[in-house]
Amino acid sequence: MIQDARPNWDNPLQFILACVSYAVGLGNVWRFPYLCQMHGGGGFLIPYFIMLILEGIPLFYMELAIGQKMSLGSIGAWTAISPYLGGVGLASVVTSLYLCLYYNVINAWSFWYLFHSFQSVLPWSVCPMNSNRTGPIEECEIATPTQYFFYRQTLNISPSIEEHGGVSTGQAMCLVLAWILTYLFIVRGVKSTGKVVYFTSIFPYMVLFIYLIRGITLHGAINGVKYMFTPKLEQLLNPTTWINAATQIFFSLGLGFGTLIAFASYNHYNNNFERQAIIVSLINCGTSIFASIVTFAIYGFKATVNYENCLERTRLLLLNTFDLAEDSMSIDQVFDWIEKLNATYPLQFAEIANQLEPCNLESELDTAVEGTGLAFIVYSEAIKNMPLPQLWSVLYFFMLLLLGMGSMLGNITAIITPLRDFKLVSHLSDELLNGLVCVFCMLLGLGFTTTSGNYWFTMFNDYGANFSLLFIVLIEVIAVSYIYGIKRFEKDIEDMIGHRPNWYWKIMWAGVSPVVLITLFVVYIVNYIRGGTPTYQAWNKELGKSVVTDYPVFGQLFIGLLMMSSVSCVPLTALYVFCMKRKRGNHPKRRAVSTVST
Amino acid sequence: MEDVVFLLLCVSSAAAAQLCAPDASNGYKVRLSILTALGDEAYVWNDSEMFLFRAALAFAMRTADGQNYNVSNVLVCDETPRVSFWFVVTSPLNPTLLVERRQVEEAVRKSRNRINSAFMLTDNTLEFLGIPPTLAAPVPPSSPPWLIVFGVVMGAVGAGIVLVLGTSVMQRRRQKKKEQTGIEEGEEESRAEGNGAASDSVYNLSFSDDDRLTQM
Repeated sequence: MIQDARPNWDNPLQFILACVSYAVGLGNVWRFPYLCQMHGGGGFLIPYFIMLILEGIPLFYMELAIGQKMSLGSIGAWTAISPYLGGVGLASVVTSLYLCLYYNVINAWSFWYLFHSFQSVLPWSVCPMNSNRTGPIEECEIATPTQYFFYRQTLNISPSIEEHGGVSTGQAMCLVLAWILTYLFIVRGVKSTGKVVYFTSIFPYMVLFIYLIRGITLHGAINGVKYMFTPKLEQLLNPTTWINAATQIFFSLGLGFGTLIAFASYNHYNNNFERQAIIVSLINCGTSIFASIVTFAIYGFKATVNYENCLERTRLLLLNTFDLAEDSMSIDQVFDWIEKLNATYPLQFAEIANQLEPCNLESELDTAVEGTGLAFIVYSEAIKNMPLPQLWSVLYFFMLLLLGMGSMLGNITAIITPLRDFKLVSHLSDELLNGLVCVFCMLLGLGFTTTSGNYWFTMFNDYGANFSLLFIVLIEVIAVSYIYGIKRFEKDIEDMIGHRPNWYWKIMWAGVSPVVLITLFVVYIVNYIRGGTPTYQAWNKELGKSVVTDYPVFGQLFIGLLMMSSVSCVPLTALYVFCMKRKRGNHPKRRAVSTVST
Repeated sequence: MEDVVFLLLCVSSAAAAQLCAPDASNGYKVRLSILTALGDEAYVWNDSEMFLFRAALAFAMRTADGQNYNVSNVLVCDETPRVSFWFVVTSPLNPTLLVERRQVEEAVRKSRNRINSAFMLTDNTLEFLGIPPTLAAPVPPSSPPWLIVFGVVMGAVGAGIVLVLGTSVMQRRRQKKKEQTGIEEGEEESRAEGNGAASDSVYNLSFSDDDRLTQM
């Protein structure tokens, strides 16, 4: 089989859009608004932008430079920098593999919700009836219909991670569809990915814009936006704010997975990636802010609706207890009437005192949620209250799907590109290799569609990538700055784009970013150790809410395995290369390296 | 004579008053939320509306029981501005005897829809406290709608993959044919020239690529 020349992006725009599509993902929609809310609203933007400048853009630039220079996937690129560092690339591939396994499950959920939006009554807006037809199902009554739909009808979740069950057919079907769609997008490598990213990167912005218009015109949306943007500057004194800002920049840009190296390796040698790195990073941050405005408009709407429903229920309760005429009390007068009635009929009032709910707009706004809970529960709840909910639901879940798919393209490319560079599989056609990887990931991913699957998903989400990525990128920046050498790196960049990076980049690579990363790394370890037994949220059907539960022993062991398996690739590979070199004596670098790659 | 009649009336109304009282053992409380249901088109609750209610209830009792209930058999008391009141039903055979609670409940349940529509209200806005409304049976769709959409999308994606794979297979076949003719020409040329120096054949081009890769 004749080896083709390395494929390239059709034009630099495709490369930019691919990076944007990869970096702008679900985290921008469901993690950043949460952090903004927790850490002082508008004030959070200050540490966010500072961290972007200190570590985000420099590290992004560095990964693009490595990929474009070496024109190889992560394993090959790091082996070229130093044969002992091939493990860094391998660790990236392992981490990307973990990510691919569980990330497409989110797309499967998006598909599930999308398909269920084509009904006259959205299934998560009403409780289904129990078998006697005397009332709604108990679990749904205690919780809310949206929670019931997510935990019972979508996931069919078991009470804890220890209890296994069968695969949920609907979920499995959606997962298969998600993988088939992913395969369709990457089947010919960059040639097909390059065309798809036009759609996956631009369409979500259109939906976000439509949602922005819809969101700010919703009743009560302004409460949410005001609440979010009121800066609470005292939060800036809290070190956690800075740590979270740094971590969010880091993960939001998708550093360390090997995707950026892979994407850049398909660039022409002289592509000006310096400008592109800055553009993509700024677009990513801008999108986060844009998405949080939309999210907070929706939050404000949902909180206002809940608050007004609470007031209405209270009003009805008062009317019914004291037999007052319906038009004697409007919603605004509820609090006044409560005081009046308490004064005039204290005994009767005392009887219903325990039924009176405390209605507070602030506390409704305060319920900060992140992650899948935000995307699939809070948002669905807000959508069901909008006029014409089916349309908004379809738009929203389609956007989630595109964001997720865009990131999936990057994740899968990060695995396939280094694999392609191995001589062992280079004789396989593109389509076959991509198909094999997709089938492999799909079969393993089916494990996340079982009844306890969501708990495993959370485990992978919380522990599968965070620790390894910090470690990988730390090694990366130290390797480039000190092992490969800043001077050599400078020359390579000059070779590629025609001018040397200025002092800002060099200071960041050699000094500031490593310091920030070491701090993050140490803080992560300290928090992990001090946090005691790792816990997760288990859905309790009797209480109708999530309960904090400890991981069982096998769960904790698996967490340790997840974290160590990718990190250990680095020392193990270095050791392996060292042993190989000693066994074969002093051979020229070329031969020794080719042994590693076969 | 008139005194006797007057006395009887007083007694009967007093008896009626005793039969119907809040928290009566065989009575039900009714609550109407006309403003909530009808907003601007709400009607005013007056004696005529009350008469309609009693008539509707008598109708319900007749339908359930078969006996000839009359408006006078439905006694109402404790009206409030909320528009809520208590009612009891007396037996047509014996005006001092109250109909059993359960019978009244059954009758109301049976004719609930008719009573509701007489007042243009719903189960939620015309409440009989203590008689929960029978919930409507959900209509199971013939095939779940999500499966249909799933099938459509899956079909589209599957067709896309078949298309893409098909075109690449065809492209590959065409390339192979070109290469085969190219190789034959190249070999002839090199045989003619007598050396394997770089020629225009595709075969040699790939060699230089291999070289680049091994440079790792």
